Amino acid sequence: MKIFSKIFLSVLLALNLMACSDEQDFNQIDDLNIIPTAEASLLFVEIPEEFINESGVPDFYTQTFNFGAFEEQFFAENVLDGVISYEVENTTSKPLDVTIEFLDAGGNVLDTERFTIDEAPTAVLLREITYGTPTGRDINIITSTSAIRLTGVNLGDNTSVSGIPEPVVLLRSSAMFRIRLK
Amino acid sequence: MRNSSLLILSALGGLFLLQAQNKQLLYDFQEIPQSLMLNPGMQTPYDWHAGIPFLSGFSFQAGTSGISVNDIFANDGLDINDKVRQRAINGLSIRDEISGVYQIEVLYGGFRGRNNPENYFSFGIYNEGVGINYWPSDLAVLAFDGNAGQLNRRFDLSHLKTRGELLNVFHFGWNRNWSRDLTVGARAKIYSGILNFHSSTNDGYFVTTPGVNNILASTLVSNMQLRTSGLQSIKDVLDDDSIDNTSGISSIFTKRGFFGGDLGMGLDLGFTYQISSSTYVMGSLLDLGLMYHSGDIRNFTLEGGATIEGVELILPDALEDPNADFWQDLVDQIEAFIPFEENTNNYVTFRPTKFYGAIRHNFGEDGPSGEWCDCNYLTNSKDSNLTYKNSVGGQIYAINRPRGPQVAVTAFYQRRFGNALALRGSYTVDKFTYTNIGLAASFQAGPVNFYLMADNLLGYQNLAASHYASFQFGINIISWHVN
Repeated sequence: MKIFSKIFLSVLLALNLMACSDEQDFNQIDDLNIIPTAEASLLFVEIPEEFINESGVPDFYTQTFNFGAFEEQFFAENVLDGVISYEVENTTSKPLDVTIEFLDAGGNVLDTERFTIDEAPTAVLLREITYGTPTGRDINIITSTSAIRLTGVNLGDNTSVSGIPEPVVLLRSSAMFRIRLK
Repeated sequence: MRNSSLLILSALGGLFLLQAQNKQLLYDFQEIPQSLMLNPGMQTPYDWHAGIPFLSGFSFQAGTSGISVNDIFANDGLDINDKVRQRAINGLSIRDEISGVYQIEVLYGGFRGRNNPENYFSFGIYNEGVGINYWPSDLAVLAFDGNAGQLNRRFDLSHLKTRGELLNVFHFGWNRNWSRDLTVGARAKIYSGILNFHSSTNDGYFVTTPGVNNILASTLVSNMQLRTSGLQSIKDVLDDDSIDNTSGISSIFTKRGFFGGDLGMGLDLGFTYQISSSTYVMGSLLDLGLMYHSGDIRNFTLEGGATIEGVELILPDALEDPNADFWQDLVDQIEAFIPFEENTNNYVTFRPTKFYGAIRHNFGEDGPSGEWCDCNYLTNSKDSNLTYKNSVGGQIYAINRPRGPQVAVTAFYQRRFGNALALRGSYTVDKFTYTNIGLAASFQAGPVNFYLMADNLLGYQNLAASHYASFQFGINIISWHVN
């Protein structure tokens, strides 16, 4: 009995004292990167041809509005880079200029994107603008943007009507940004 | 604020490092009075027992399923980002968990009825901390990868399941040797909750799809809630620089732990049945009960649904209000459809009910005859039941969990050496490990009983790679029932 109990105790003690472990490096946690890429629609604009014709002037539309998505503190502090994608579709009977400007809190223009598109029938204009990468535009443009100004210029006439049902000019856009969570 | 949040998170994180509640080494270990806590219908060979306050029973169990510390932090030259991606993000499922429990007996004692010695009563107080956190698979993918390139993938919000609590349990148990072959028992419990958090009934999804007007549509359908009790007062103490954190939190724990917080009631039931002269079956149900959380409640909900396609300007309507704030309107619209709200509504939680079933066969007599006799309870004492040198048996254990019952199966061998020493070895299979070998020892020196148990001993070869470890010990004073 003594031998058995001694063996048992020795085993138990040995297991506790001699318990070993592979070498761990908990400082690795500092190297962990958690950088998801978030994607969502940004801005959708629909302008009917009727509205363009009724305006009677070339600069048929301009509007500045608050856009707080980019200046949300968490986003602004952690965004690394990203891409804004635009699609401009014109089914009206006139060529158009559509300009989108990013403005800072003081109303200063940070970035301008101009789309010139022919009258219908014409292909959808696609464009991707990169920010924050070595070849892209400055990411600070994004993080400093607090408003957007949209301008539409009619490069044609104010009387013609497209043969396509419900003629409009559509601006679609989405944003895809990498955000560092850690 | 930052420090206090970290402290709270650390405290909760501490709970998550604790694990499972199976005490297979202790179950039906009659030499140790704490086994009565696992089966109130156990055969009791004591006249009385008294635990040394705060030292009579301490158990600590920790582990994870699916991943170990070594998988992530081994100094193996691999990039931690690759390891996390392969072994956690892509390697874990929603059934994998980090969970656990610790238990400290504050007070524990028992005595045999004077007029009805077939009855054995036990009572006490113990403090318990329980936590479980399932791997939130879809939410982890969303956090690490985001939703880009995941068109039409639904990120399931029900993957978030977590709960934890600290409580004191006041209990009184009655054990009766009903006949020569049947012992039954019950234990009433009053739970005094110190803190609780609970988020296990979530539902909903987040999905990105092709938009109707715009390029993409983002849809969130959420029915999520986090219910907490007792956390706000701790946070208030941590935020208040005029209060010493240690004394402030101690005061809260003391108050809430002694009927000043949440209250609940529960019941343990158990039996032991002798099916032959040396074979027994036994079973028990523990913590059939609930808690009513009514003090210091703070709940958070995110319920509703919305689909957005960014800021939409449709002319000429968009020009009607020259002061329109389209962005804020969008934010307001989302918040109206999916409000993030707080409330202080009381709530009920059910205790994690546990089930044990076991069979034990004794052999190798040591001492007075242990033959099965047609005798009364008096012979079911230490003299008759603990006279066998050897016992073998099997156990099954199940616990009710947010994702359904967890089961463990155990085989054991026990060897007694007179009255001084009893040893038990066990082999257990559960979701954490298939190689769980445990050892237990009960030492008796005069009236003093000391026990020591350790689990998953093979894991000690590389502790960091172990998925499970547990440790139990305690000291009691026992007066054996001798006839």
